[in-house]
Amino acid sequence: MPANTPSFVKILFQLLVIAGLFFATWFGLRQIDWLQIFQVESVSRKTEEKIGNLSWELIRKTNHEIKTKEPVRVLEKLADHLSAVSGIDPDHLKIHLVDHDEINAFALPDGHLIVFSGLIRDCRNEAELAGVLGHEIAHIERKHVMKKLAKELGLTVLVSATAGGHHNSEILKETVRVLSSAAYDRSLETEADQTSVQYLIKAGIDPKQFARFLARMPKEKDESPSGIFSVSTHPDSDVRSKEIMEEIGDQTFESNPVLTEMEWKSLKEKVSEEIQ
Amino acid sequence: MEIQPAGEQEAEKASNSYLMSLVFIMAGLPLPIVNLIASLIFYFGNRKAGYFVRWHCTQTLLSQFALLFINSTGFWWTASIIFGGEEVTSAYISYLLTALIFNLIDFGSTIYAAIQTRKGIHVKWFFFGDLTDRLCPPTHLPS
Repeated sequence: MPANTPSFVKILFQLLVIAGLFFATWFGLRQIDWLQIFQVESVSRKTEEKIGNLSWELIRKTNHEIKTKEPVRVLEKLADHLSAVSGIDPDHLKIHLVDHDEINAFALPDGHLIVFSGLIRDCRNEAELAGVLGHEIAHIERKHVMKKLAKELGLTVLVSATAGGHHNSEILKETVRVLSSAAYDRSLETEADQTSVQYLIKAGIDPKQFARFLARMPKEKDESPSGIFSVSTHPDSDVRSKEIMEEIGDQTFESNPVLTEMEWKSLKEKVSEEIQ
Repeated sequence: MEIQPAGEQEAEKASNSYLMSLVFIMAGLPLPIVNLIASLIFYFGNRKAGYFVRWHCTQTLLSQFALLFINSTGFWWTASIIFGGEEVTSAYISYLLTALIFNLIDFGSTIYAAIQTRKGIHVKWFFFGDLTDRLCPPTHLPS
C-alpha cells in the first residue's frame, strides 16, 4: 500500500464525523415544534372531525337510531364511567345507539361510538357490555381508528372524502364498511383488549366477564350469523378470551356495579322493545 | 501522488460521472435506488477508463450510497405514513429537513466537482475522497 493511502482509522473518524453531523442536525431540528408551525395536528383533527360526522350521518340515514332517552342515558352512564378512568374527555365520546340485530359496536373517527342493540341484547350483564365499550374506547384513545382508515383507504383519499360530491359518498360508505366489519391488525386488537381490561379494573368492574363474553361468541356464531363484533370483526375471540384470562391470572375482583339493577333491566327491555 | 486527467476526454468523462449523479438525484428522489443504479451503470461502464475517470466515478458512487441510506429511510417513513397509518411527527419533519440539507450539500458539492473535474482539477471530498483513495489505489490499477 502506498504511503499516502489514508489509514482506516482516519476514514472511520471521518465517517463518525459525518454521521455525528447528521444526527446532530436531526436532533437540533427536533427541538422545534414543526407540527405547530405546519399546523399538522389541527389539519388532521379537522379531517377526523369531518369524516366522523359524515360517516355517522351515513349510518343514521341507513339505520334506525334509538333516541329514546332512558337507554341512551344508561349507556352513556356506563361509557362515561369508563372514559373517566381511560383519560378520554367524556365530552369527546359521542355514543349512538342503533337498532340492529348484529352483535356489534365500533368506533368512528372523532370519538363516535356506535353500539348496536343486538350487542346489548346479547350481553348477560353490565360487565360484558363494559368490556366491549372499553375495547372500543381503547381504539379511540389509542388513535387506532384513523390509523386503520389511513392504512386501508390512504390518507389522501380520506382528506378528499371531506370535500363532498357523489364519488366521496362512496369513500364514506367504504369508511363505514372498514370500521364496522373489518378487523384491526392483530396487534391493535390485542392492545385494545389489554387496555379495556385495565379500564375495567380501574373502574371496579370484573374483567373476567369480558373474557367470558368473548369465549361465548364462537359458540353463538351459527345462532347469530351476522354477529360482527365477535365473528367477522374479531375472528379470534376465543384466543383473545384466553389471552385476557392469562393476563388477569389468579386475581380476584370485587364487583362494583356502575348501573343499578333497574337501569340494566330497563336498558335490556328498551332495546328489546325497539325490534318488536 | 497527484491525480490528473490523461487528456481532455478523461476530464470530460470524470465530470460526466458527477453530472450523471446530479440528474439522477432529481429523478431518483421519489425512489432513491434510481440514482444509485445510474451511478453503478456509469461506474461499470468506465471501469476500463483512465485512472482519473475511475477515481471520480468511485467517489460519486460512494456518495450515492450514503444518500441512498438517508433518502431510503425518508422514503419508507413517508410510505408508512401514507399507507401504514403512522402519524406525522416532529421527528419525521425534522428528518425530512435534515435529509434535504444533506441532499443540498451533496447537490452543491456535485456541481462544484463537475465543474472542477471538467477543468482537469482533482476534487477530493471529505471522507468519500479518502475512502476512494483506499478502494481505488493507483498501485492496483493498470495505467
